[in-house]
Amino acid sequence: MSHSFRLTASEVDSHQIPMMERAPFKTPAATFGSFPAAPGYQSFIDKENREGGQRVASISSSYPGPSHSVAMMTSSISSDEDMLDITTTGTTQEQTSFDNESRSIASPAGLGEITAEDIPGIGQYDDFQTIDWQRDLARDRMHHRYITKHKEESILSAVKAAHDAWSGWVCVLSVGVAVGAVASFIDIGTTWMTDLKYGICPDAFWFDREQCCWSSNQTSFSDNCSQWLTWPQLFGASDDSAGGYILAYLFYVLWAVSFGALAAVLVRMFAPYASGGGIPEIKTILSGFIIRGFLGKWTLLIKSIGIMLAVAAGLSLGKEGPMVHIAICLGNIFSYLFPKYGRNEAKKREILSAAAAAGVSVAFGAPIGGVLFSLEEVSYYFPMKTLWRSFFCALIAAFIVRTINPYGNEHSVLFYVEYNKPWIFYELIPFTALGILGGLIGTLFIRANVWWSRYRKGSRLGQYPVLEVLAITLINGIVAYPNPYTRMSSTRLIYLLFSQCGVANTDDLCDYNRNVTDVSSAVEFSETGPGVYRALWMLVLALIFKCVITVFTIGIKVPAGLYIPSLCMGAIMGRIIGIGMEQLAYHNPHSWIFHGECSAGGEDCITPGLYAMVGAAAVLGGITRMTVALVVIMFELTGGVRYIVPLMAAVMASKWVGDAFGKDGIYDAHIVLNGYPFLDNKEEFGHTTLAADVMQPKANKPLTVLTQDTTTLEGVEMLLKETDHNGFPVVVSRESQFLVGFVLRRDLSLAVANAKRTLEGLRDDSLVLFTPNIPSPWHGSPPLKLRRILDLAPITVTDHTPMETVIDMFRKLGLRQVLVTHNGRLLGIITKKDVLRHMKQMDSEDPDAANTN
Amino acid sequence: MTTPVPVLLSFFFLFFFSFGIRDVNAQYEDVRCKCICPDTAVVNGTQSHRKLYIENVPPNKCDCTNVVLPRVGDDIKGKEKEFCPRCECKYESRNTTTIKVVVIIVIWIISLLVIYMLFLVCLDPLLNKKTTTQYQEHNNEEDESETHSQPLRASGAGVLNRVGQTTDKWKKTVQEQRRHIYDRHTILN
Repeated sequence: MSHSFRLTASEVDSHQIPMMERAPFKTPAATFGSFPAAPGYQSFIDKENREGGQRVASISSSYPGPSHSVAMMTSSISSDEDMLDITTTGTTQEQTSFDNESRSIASPAGLGEITAEDIPGIGQYDDFQTIDWQRDLARDRMHHRYITKHKEESILSAVKAAHDAWSGWVCVLSVGVAVGAVASFIDIGTTWMTDLKYGICPDAFWFDREQCCWSSNQTSFSDNCSQWLTWPQLFGASDDSAGGYILAYLFYVLWAVSFGALAAVLVRMFAPYASGGGIPEIKTILSGFIIRGFLGKWTLLIKSIGIMLAVAAGLSLGKEGPMVHIAICLGNIFSYLFPKYGRNEAKKREILSAAAAAGVSVAFGAPIGGVLFSLEEVSYYFPMKTLWRSFFCALIAAFIVRTINPYGNEHSVLFYVEYNKPWIFYELIPFTALGILGGLIGTLFIRANVWWSRYRKGSRLGQYPVLEVLAITLINGIVAYPNPYTRMSSTRLIYLLFSQCGVANTDDLCDYNRNVTDVSSAVEFSETGPGVYRALWMLVLALIFKCVITVFTIGIKVPAGLYIPSLCMGAIMGRIIGIGMEQLAYHNPHSWIFHGECSAGGEDCITPGLYAMVGAAAVLGGITRMTVALVVIMFELTGGVRYIVPLMAAVMASKWVGDAFGKDGIYDAHIVLNGYPFLDNKEEFGHTTLAADVMQPKANKPLTVLTQDTTTLEGVEMLLKETDHNGFPVVVSRESQFLVGFVLRRDLSLAVANAKRTLEGLRDDSLVLFTPNIPSPWHGSPPLKLRRILDLAPITVTDHTPMETVIDMFRKLGLRQVLVTHNGRLLGIITKKDVLRHMKQMDSEDPDAANTN
Repeated sequence: MTTPVPVLLSFFFLFFFSFGIRDVNAQYEDVRCKCICPDTAVVNGTQSHRKLYIENVPPNKCDCTNVVLPRVGDDIKGKEKEFCPRCECKYESRNTTTIKVVVIIVIWIISLLVIYMLFLVCLDPLLNKKTTTQYQEHNNEEDESETHSQPLRASGAGVLNRVGQTTDKWKKTVQEQRRHIYDRHTILN
């Protein structure tokens, strides 16, 4: 198997980069170069190369996001220049100074025409572009080498080199600061807006209820103080009267619906990409795709505002997933300040990985959990360098939030609880049971949600996104209000369920028959009062309601994360079981299970709050199938290292049960649902097919090729016109089919257009030459020399290479395509698309084979 | 061409609006010590409600002895040792200025977005229609791009024009996103 790195950057003979220098690229990386496949994939590679330029264009303008037509015209120029520069120039120096150099090569007008022709290639994946990890990383290496080489020359160069060296750290530092600031902003805005449903603080409207009653002189303990006016009070009705209840109900629903409507309308009007959680898309983007505008400024703004509104509307959704998206938007925006990252998509993904860590860090106040989340769940290419930067970025972000202190509890989450109670060994059984239940709920949730999303996608429902939001908000508001546990915001409910019953907790949930007068007796452990049973019924109803409504909520077109709802479901379930266990222990204090800890009626017996925590982790684990990151996040949330084992047991059980009933987590399920071309490196390929079975073209159809020295310009143009392949292999001659190299459609058309404009005397019968030397006395019309755009090191495999190997190559090298040879002659081509299609096909034909591995 | 004039106007309006209500309340402190205790009747053996005591004291003095006892002293004379362990005291801090600034900014942003949205929905089509009729020869709805925007830009029609062009560009991006999400359902389902 001849298997070499692609050298896109330059002519191989003049300065080949030694293999070892590219070694850091170990982790798999995906690209999606489509090829002679069906129509609609064409303009793929073309589009993706525009991306860099588009982003540049968008950053310089005051309006967001890369855009289609007009922006593409202008922006394609700059990125075309990058491309042409990379492929045409010879020396390292020229390559690094691409922005100056290449303007002379390609003049904008001509390129504009070419790209304009390519625009109408709209297929299923049209909006997705692939990045060429190999090329981008090689480009960065060139740039780095150039800078280090010239470091000694002048002070300016030395400064430049220093700036280049530290720009990664400065970039993640600024991302961390920005993420922390934005997260605090959202936290404060959300709490304020949430309480607006209940009433207002007339003296200082910017306070929520808690803040409004901050220095109340009243000693009576209730939710309200004299400074805070509920809506009924504002209209002169008493809170306790029937009229007051109806008025409060009405205002609750009214505010909820208007917040929901505003969020939906803003999203629809300004940034549709801000809807949903965004994590499946982020996973796809980090695996090497570009979704235009997904990480733009408007998405950032609308997602930040929209998530406040959506949470305030009382919908069953959370701001934690969107926080990751927001953080990555910030990472994307800040990376433009550092050309090393902003202009290099592969390098940019390092910053984005760090930003994802910062996002989770601020969302849960869990910096280490954030780093692990980035590693385990979202990142595809995660070298050690990125690990350290993620660590730093998460640290900074958490620090900023802690400084701003949005919740007044010195933590970055509302539901932070401090736990320090021991657990009994036998409690592992209920914990594992919680894990199993969590796995079941998770699987059912994924199934139901994907089913509903598919239904929405296919039916007429999908045509009324704003109405759908209105309907869900209305139903949610009407059903949620009567039950106090669904009426309060999900984060508050989670806090309530996590926390222990103490003096401060007057909820029904803590209505135990406790003897508070006797100091020597325990407070924690006693028989339930009627309030607890009332609370249990309410909680069961709340659980059913949350389970049902969340299925329909996740996927509506407002910003929506599913961490909080799943934590909430799990916490309710856990608390119910926890209270059950507690009462079991109370009534059988001398049974052998509880004998040690509970017989004395001690405080250290069973803590229902701990069950709520374990249950929350179990359901979240069942839905997302995260393990390590989740446990670390949970223990950072509670500051209790001693609960790692219960959490691990529950999360593991949940994952096993979940994996047994459905192999994908919610993110992967949504990736499949949306058909994102994401080559998962977790899956194994257990089939025995060969490269020859997968390659295109199939059965006796000829492969479209170019010959190195016999094709005419007219022939090339015909080829470009008649085929929609994204690249063409170049062979010695059609008879021998010996492979010379590979040329991208985009480069070819650009080069031809450029030549037609600049080269005089070029005629239709001019030869297009890919050979290094041209016979010196040339007869006939002047030839077009295109060796410069030829990739002389395409990766090839033989037709008997097992597909497992080929898939590994795609994953680990981030390839777009491989060429298939037989006896050294070119036989066909395999693209990423072909690989994905083949994997899907094999899995559906033989579903057992994939699972056995 | 869209203009930012209404946006600016509304911005100033909101600016003054928010300054009008600026120094309303100084009674809101930034720190507090919040103690929650059972009713003082507890020491006499009756079950009861909780009571809330809030003081502004330094963190090291945030406990029952310093916050609660001075206020209930007479009721539980001699039984402090029984009463105090039942109290939970928590020291909390916040930054009222940050909260105020953030909430006002949030209101601003939302108002600006709503105003701009209304502008785009209601006024913009009217304005654009006028522009279209005026520059009929240039403006060919279908292939708006380099071909006609280039000469406009070259003629130096000014900042306003460029802003307009950027806006148009942005609008097309959003339209494209809308098509992906709401019409074709290819992404974010």
